[in-house]
Amino acid sequence: MVKDNLDSYIDDILNALGDDFKTEVSRENIEKELSKFMEYGVPIDQAKQTLIKKYGGQAVLTSSEQSSERKLISDLQPNERSVNLLCRVIAINPKEITVKGDIRKIFYGILGDESGTISFTAWNSELDLERGDVVEISNAYTREWQGSVQLNLGDRISIKKTDKEKLPESAFEPKTMKIVDLRSGVGAVDVTARILEINERETEIDGETKKIFSGILADETGKAQFTSWHDFKFKEEDVLQITGGYVKSWKGIPQLTFDQKATVKKLDKSKIPKKDLQINKMPLFMIVEKRGALDVEVEGTIIDIRPGSGVILRCPECNRAMTNNECSIHGAVEGKQDLRVKLVVDDGTGSVNSALNKELSEDLLGKTLEEYKKMDEVTMLEDINKKLFAHRINLQGNALGDEFGTSLIARKAKLIDFDIQDEADKLSQELEELL
Amino acid sequence: MKRQTAWRVFAGEFNDSNVEVKGEGEMTPSFVVTPLGAKVNRLFIIGVLTDVENISQEGELLRAHISDPTGVFTLYSGQYQKEVTEALSNIDVPTFVAVTGKARTYNPEEGLMYVSIRPERILEVSADIRDKWIFETCKNTKDRIEAVMEAMKMDESNVNELKKLGYSRELSEGIVEALKSYENIDLKKYVTLIKESLQYLRPSKETLPDIKIDKDEKEIEEEIIDDKKKEKVTIKKKRN
Ligand SMILES: [Zn+2]
Repeated sequence: MVKDNLDSYIDDILNALGDDFKTEVSRENIEKELSKFMEYGVPIDQAKQTLIKKYGGQAVLTSSEQSSERKLISDLQPNERSVNLLCRVIAINPKEITVKGDIRKIFYGILGDESGTISFTAWNSELDLERGDVVEISNAYTREWQGSVQLNLGDRISIKKTDKEKLPESAFEPKTMKIVDLRSGVGAVDVTARILEINERETEIDGETKKIFSGILADETGKAQFTSWHDFKFKEEDVLQITGGYVKSWKGIPQLTFDQKATVKKLDKSKIPKKDLQINKMPLFMIVEKRGALDVEVEGTIIDIRPGSGVILRCPECNRAMTNNECSIHGAVEGKQDLRVKLVVDDGTGSVNSALNKELSEDLLGKTLEEYKKMDEVTMLEDINKKLFAHRINLQGNALGDEFGTSLIARKAKLIDFDIQDEADKLSQELEELL
Repeated sequence: MKRQTAWRVFAGEFNDSNVEVKGEGEMTPSFVVTPLGAKVNRLFIIGVLTDVENISQEGELLRAHISDPTGVFTLYSGQYQKEVTEALSNIDVPTFVAVTGKARTYNPEEGLMYVSIRPERILEVSADIRDKWIFETCKNTKDRIEAVMEAMKMDESNVNELKKLGYSRELSEGIVEALKSYENIDLKKYVTLIKESLQYLRPSKETLPDIKIDKDEKEIEEEIIDDKKKEKVTIKKKRN
């Protein structure tokens, strides 16, 4: 989409946020995020709603009278009222039924959006819709029928044909994606991956027990979580091509979600050999831009050792770090001592926080909690700075994003030394070839 | 708000900057865009702290200089950076220091822009750590040169195309801005800058550069006096 066209949408978003928010949310940021959504083929209305919601505004369907947020089909549960959708008519058929002796014409068919499809019944004999129409529907409701969610378009609905470009055909084609590229909001993906872990659990939906399968899958670019709402009978270490899933995310960690509408094809295991599934090492900007990632390796320089590093007291009740001998929840308690270091790691392309636990800290620092307990604070911090500050560190673990940026929950940590003359020679060589 | 990246940029590149992308409002940051497209709000630099001077008649406003193999960073630290200001006034120069700080600009007149750094944190470091910074900065500078070369190949440089090549959004935006705002970007100059910096790290391979880590203090002192002279000259030039 051309940048100029975005301007009016950004205005809409800022207006929806109202004056209170304008100081905190810059136009530039919104433009950035909006362009990103466009890049991933998210329809403009959905992108707008998402941003408005993100910044705490009331989501508003700008083009219609309704003041309620649009839902994605994949998010629909049975027995929901006032459902608002932007969707495309995938199939529509008339049907004659007898109601209390009268013959009545109704319609049934399938509606779809970028997250999935749903079958519907419309109780309105005058419905003027055809296949391919893109419609804004408000005030629909859902029911469960034979184990799946059904959409009902009753008397109260408002249905309006709208610009087909709001939900282009391309939003429906499953996009082949590598796991590293999975991001929340992407609907209909085609992913080939190896299942590393499955957990089975049961949940109750509308009085019925349903099995849910979740776990971790991976390709050579990375790992993601998955949730399957249907028993496809796959096992750990199977290599699968999953078509028609959609992506949600938790703190930036992508979650591939799919149900019986998806196609799951078992492939030969050599398609993704286990040896290719090493932990992915990536520059920090990549993690910061994705906000989070499952099980990654990063390397950067420790550019800050933050306050709260060293020997600290933890609340015996909740394990929170205490300040001034008090827990923020439990007040004055007898704290137990612990060691941790809170680092800012930056490779010149991006910055993450990482708090290292006692085991990792003792290992890196070469001293134990007991030894640090004997030091005064100044000596302790000097020692920590001397050993860590401005050194290069390699971390492995999950990266989680929130409004303050991205934190790496380190599972492994090691300081990296390198032969600087050797590396300098290599770089000189590369430079000769550059110009 | 997410934490700003701490860019690794040599003084020789940073001081060439005369483009600023101003943030709108208080919550949006401003950036200095270097000729190689680094979009700098925060930097992480390591070099020789050569001098610290109180330049304010009344309160406390310190000006300090940090020298790297390619040039000299200018720092201003005042009452609002209490901790750093105090640390700066207590460090004996010369010594190797690491500084994280924010890029600042000064526009004495239309079309003229000087950059400086407002330090957030300063710590003394070893020569070994300084060398690693030089290496890292050489590498990051080379990455930027390559990215600028890629962008120059495009009909019109474009953030998304650069991102597809594997560059960060920040750098991609910076490069598009740099190509738009700088008349001609002298890539050769920055390649030379890297080459010279690398010489610091390869003492056995080439003739020794003029600042070497293990030289004796007297030499360093002489050099600093030299640096100060140079500094005075450039200040005079700026005032004319
Ligand atoms: Zn507590």
